[in-house]
Amino acid sequence: MKQHPLCTDPDHGPTILDLPISDGLKMEWAALQTRRHFLGKMGKVLGLAAMATLSGDRMLAGSAYATNPTPPPPEFSKLPYFAPKAKRAIYLFMSGGPPQMDLLDYKPKLAQLYNKDIPDSVRGTQQLTGMTAGQARFPIAPSHWAFKQYGKSGAWVSDLLPYTAQMVDDLTIIRSTNTDAINHEPAIMLMNTGNMNAGKPCLGSWLSYGLGSMNDNLPTFMVLLSKTNAKENNQPVSSRLWSSGFLSSEYAGVGLRSAGDPVLYLSDPKGIDRDVRRKMLDAVNEINHQTYQELGDPETNSRISQYEMAYRMQMSVPELTNMSDEPQSTWDLYGPDAKEPGTFAYNCLMARRMAERDVRFVQVYKRGWDVHSNVPGVLPILCQETDRGCHALITDLKQRGLLDDTLVIWAGEFGRTVYSQGGLTKDDYGRDHHPRCFTSWMAGGGVKPGIVFGETDDYSYNIVKDPVPVRNFNATILHCLGIDHNKLTFKSQGLDQKLTGTTPAEVVTGLLAS
Amino acid sequence: MAKFLPTASILTIVILLLVPLVFKLDGKPHADWQQFLGRFHVLAVHLPIALILLVPLLEIGGRFRPGLREAAVLVLSLTVIVCLGTFTLGYLLAYGSGTMGTGVTRHMWGGVCFTIGVLVCFLIRPMWASGRWPFSYPALLAGVLLMMTWTADQGGSITHGNNYLTEYLPAPLKKWPGLRMVQAKSQLVPGSFYAEHIDPIFDANCVACHSEAKIKGGFRLDSYNLLMAGGHDGAVIIPGHPEKSILFSRITLPYEHKKFMPAEGKPPLKPEEIAWIKAWILQGASPAVTSLAGVVIPHGYKETALPQVGDYSGMMAQISQIDAAPGVRLVPVSSKLGDGLILNTVDIAAKFNDAQLAQFEKFAPYVVDVELERTKVTDACFDTLGKFAHLRTLNLSGTAISGQNLAKLVPLSQLTYVNLSGTKVTKAAIAPLLSMQNLHHLYIYNTPAQTASMPPSQQPTTRSLP
Repeated sequence: MKQHPLCTDPDHGPTILDLPISDGLKMEWAALQTRRHFLGKMGKVLGLAAMATLSGDRMLAGSAYATNPTPPPPEFSKLPYFAPKAKRAIYLFMSGGPPQMDLLDYKPKLAQLYNKDIPDSVRGTQQLTGMTAGQARFPIAPSHWAFKQYGKSGAWVSDLLPYTAQMVDDLTIIRSTNTDAINHEPAIMLMNTGNMNAGKPCLGSWLSYGLGSMNDNLPTFMVLLSKTNAKENNQPVSSRLWSSGFLSSEYAGVGLRSAGDPVLYLSDPKGIDRDVRRKMLDAVNEINHQTYQELGDPETNSRISQYEMAYRMQMSVPELTNMSDEPQSTWDLYGPDAKEPGTFAYNCLMARRMAERDVRFVQVYKRGWDVHSNVPGVLPILCQETDRGCHALITDLKQRGLLDDTLVIWAGEFGRTVYSQGGLTKDDYGRDHHPRCFTSWMAGGGVKPGIVFGETDDYSYNIVKDPVPVRNFNATILHCLGIDHNKLTFKSQGLDQKLTGTTPAEVVTGLLAS
Repeated sequence: MAKFLPTASILTIVILLLVPLVFKLDGKPHADWQQFLGRFHVLAVHLPIALILLVPLLEIGGRFRPGLREAAVLVLSLTVIVCLGTFTLGYLLAYGSGTMGTGVTRHMWGGVCFTIGVLVCFLIRPMWASGRWPFSYPALLAGVLLMMTWTADQGGSITHGNNYLTEYLPAPLKKWPGLRMVQAKSQLVPGSFYAEHIDPIFDANCVACHSEAKIKGGFRLDSYNLLMAGGHDGAVIIPGHPEKSILFSRITLPYEHKKFMPAEGKPPLKPEEIAWIKAWILQGASPAVTSLAGVVIPHGYKETALPQVGDYSGMMAQISQIDAAPGVRLVPVSSKLGDGLILNTVDIAAKFNDAQLAQFEKFAPYVVDVELERTKVTDACFDTLGKFAHLRTLNLSGTAISGQNLAKLVPLSQLTYVNLSGTKVTKAAIAPLLSMQNLHHLYIYNTPAQTASMPPSQQPTTRSLP
């Protein structure tokens, strides 16, 4: 094998023997190195032999590589571990942290406590963010909006969400979601990847790694970013959130752009037809195969499969994104926003089209929920942008018979404080980050519809019943898709890594449909 | 030397028979050194087994190569010596650790008989070799081997539990008469807190050492009465007083403590299990009470069991052949074979037609989910689909069917989901489906069957039958 350009393997680079150190040390190192090498190589040989036995002919058949460059490890035929209720999932991610007490966590007693300080006993010894830690007072800001009860479940919903209110009997509302992080980046990483530090695979990558693709012509895991609105406080979202971490990069999320070509450079340039493209790809693949033979880097295989996927997407993406075949009833349902590419409503419709085409996991990001100030001014805009799309997606999936085996998840990275950040008047208040409780919901395959789970105290500050930490939230999502979160692991950095991390996590059975 | 052999042998046999009578296994632990040595029994016990198995091989081999016969004599004599040593160690283990029970007794007497048998084999072999007592030695050797098998099985049961060998036996074989199975506990009060929550804890953590087969400390907890009767130290449960109950104090000692239970490095009980036991003792340790004040046990979440399909493992080669070609795939629902297969056509929906569907008829008994959305199938597809007896889910949305032959689906009793959205089905066409008891989800969105006057969001597309 020759040296990979990025290789840091001591086999190929300068070695200890080149260093200006004593010969005795060099000898000792050489002795150790030889033994380690021998053991390492033996391990690889045994592993290959075992894999060849387990995977049978596939391993030897060269043609299998052309369509499926990295055959998943043999144990993957075991997935899903049990019959799943949901085959696919759509995650509507509300980046920034929606204020739970203004939307779905109704706190009637707050009205009488307007501008009173929040009791120390409620706040405890919690460390606040730098944005409000210096405040002299922590005045309670009751919600600006009225709440009403809806549906058979009698769930309380704010007047800001008239469409969500109509579908509460299809929702599993979780008022007791909670996180360990108080700032955006660690909190959003924790929600998406199960770890506050970057570098771990996200939920979608685990799902595509574990369950594989249902549609060979589209990526298994797709990401839709919604357009930002300058009036809102938009926190950045980055590709770290849909990264495959230490898993092969073919499991990373594939984003569709909100304007122009949905996928850049996907269409052939002028003068290049599909046959020429095919021939070019065949030649490139051949070279890449040679590189793989020489270097054995699995990322080479990922690259081959991604070229092939892009080639298939040249046909499938235009069909996916061409919404001219949608009937008028679709536009009536999703509203006028849906006509404009990149809006949240448009992305909800796109997510439904992807679900219809068996894309395993779609993650829609909506930014702007970071309402540190002017909640009464900004929150109605955010709700107007998202409420109808959420309702349309659930209703549409339901009427098309897709909600039975699609799990829809709506969540942000944390909640917001009941006390006002900055000045408090009847018509103006702000809310800071709040990790101790926030409200999320799920709907569809595997979860129990029409329930409100968990409870917070009178201040929507601490959870008093059935807390659902992020790891349990994620374990429950995996369960709905037929995965035991303790079994879907990948060895990296000496640890059997998993989405739910090292703290023991549990599936929240109270959320599951029986 | 040869003169003393018979005398010495008889003496040995007498000692072997007397030891269990003199040093009775009374269930009380004795000296630590006995246990220390005794624990080597589980290691040494494999030696006589290996040696005695070698003897018949050498004897048979000896018919062709006489040298092996001499080796057989040597191996047999070694077996006698090793047997005596192993028996001694075994007895030290049982006596020293204060173990008793039917399993232990059987294993012990098995060991005695086996040792005596090997010794007698060694004594009569010369007569057989000189032709005086034909068949005596081979017959006895065969008997000794059988004895050894039985004794080894008894010993294995003591260490690994009674159903260790049969636990994962394929289900049809379990019905064979005479196989040892764990008996149902008839004396439990059904639905009681003890039966539902306390007894299972003991079952999982304690009975390996405290039940009929192996009675450590003279204490068994494989039934309520025996549990309450206690052991050598008296009652282990004082109703109403967990702090005075030996059982409770032993399970709450520090893990490193010598008297901590479960012993021998087994994992401690879970905190909630300890809490249940405490509450149960505190509130009277009754065998019949069904609930305890202050103890809320989350309702056990139970997955609804899916109807199972037959074994299709013989068709795996054909299935993976289909999967290897791009296009149609037969995917298992889960790792459980019985959950069945999904027929997935999404990759080549535009080309998939009735003729191709008909090719999957041979998999019909194993397919539970047929996904035909936006394929080119027509009403003729129901001829084929009617043969998918285990079908649970059928998706025909976006196809050109008019639903003429939908009645052919009616015999499919397990069908729970049919999606006809975006097809040309009419109200009359879907009428036969409405009689199906298990068909809880029928989707007719965007079809002539859907009432045109209602807005789509209020269409009765899903119906739930009682």
